[in-house]
Amino acid sequence: MRRRPYEQRAGLIWALLLLTMLPAVASAQDVEAGATAALDRMGAYLRTLKAFQVTAETSRDVVLENGLKAQFSSTTDLLARLPDRLRADVAGDLSDRRYVYDGKEFTLLAERLNYYATVPAPPTIGALANALEERFDIELPLVDLFRWGSADGPRTPITLAVDLGASAVDGTTCTHYAFRQAGLDWQIWIQRGDYPLPRRLVLTTTTDEARPEFEARYEWNLAPSFNESAFVFEAPEGAHRIALAEVPAMQAK
Amino acid sequence: MNRSIRRIQLLLAAALLLAGATAANAGHHNTRSSSRTSVNRNTNINHNRNTNVNVNSRRNVNIDVDVDHHHGCCYHDYHPVARATAVVATAAVIGSIVTSIPPSCTVVMVNGLTYQQCGNTWYQPQFVGTTTSYVVVAAPR
Repeated sequence: MRRRPYEQRAGLIWALLLLTMLPAVASAQDVEAGATAALDRMGAYLRTLKAFQVTAETSRDVVLENGLKAQFSSTTDLLARLPDRLRADVAGDLSDRRYVYDGKEFTLLAERLNYYATVPAPPTIGALANALEERFDIELPLVDLFRWGSADGPRTPITLAVDLGASAVDGTTCTHYAFRQAGLDWQIWIQRGDYPLPRRLVLTTTTDEARPEFEARYEWNLAPSFNESAFVFEAPEGAHRIALAEVPAMQAK
Repeated sequence: MNRSIRRIQLLLAAALLLAGATAANAGHHNTRSSSRTSVNRNTNINHNRNTNVNVNSRRNVNIDVDVDHHHGCCYHDYHPVARATAVVATAAVIGSIVTSIPPSCTVVMVNGLTYQQCGNTWYQPQFVGTTTSYVVVAAPR
């Protein structure tokens, strides 16, 4: 049966009406409860860990003034004993750095230069992370691992949250999620099952049109063997102690 | 295929040589931004500090390169005293900050602090964030 023209027109109008309603429907589901719940579950699980070792292969984009995007890689080997011991070695294209924290002092070592700086430190890794950022503009390696599921530390509201389904990371089945917050789109792959660990993270910085990215793939060891000396800084032979510049007060808002 | 690879290798080698010869100019891969490396970060703090020699150009945040490397993207690490750079002319102003220092400097410890003495100019190495740089200071003794 052939439809008459006015029927076709009516259909078109209905379709248009539906289309105009779509954004309203979509925005109600922009933040999928399942996706944010998975993030919370991962955070809660991370906060139950008393000690862990994680090795992360990371890459980071840098945007040159001419817009050229350059990617640099590094490997981070991090050992933490909660709440107050941390050691991290970051070996990268651009620099090698060691971070050592024993609950009392924090030391940053530039291995190839053999320079180090030591400053008094607050009593927990969480407080250390905040203090280092605020006072010295230093971000602890893989700092998110200490902030997910934690009340202290900055938090930016999530405006989009999507469950993208199953995805394997290095042979482990994960669920892939995507999130948006101010200035940052990010994706995370969370291991399925009883150990909801982050296995991969991709950040896309959206404040630059070149959209530089950061990626980390995590290998976890939840039963690391270590002794106390791992968290005590010993200056390498010939190392020189230098200053750690504080963020100028004027620039901290 | 092989030929083009060889050509690229030759070009690369030539570029490296050239870069080595003009080390002073090769340094400033100024960056306009870089990706964030964490989700949970207080972005209200302005962390873009100027660590560049040329303070007049716009928001020069160098690639987060260790100065124990040569410049920018493609060099590898050597102690700064082993490197040739040409920042001396602009570096003599006390309080100015440079990312590298001239060759033939000497490490001098004064009152437990580390300095690099390069002729009459004294530099105090420091971490700015996790990047090393050098502040020109008055002779500490």
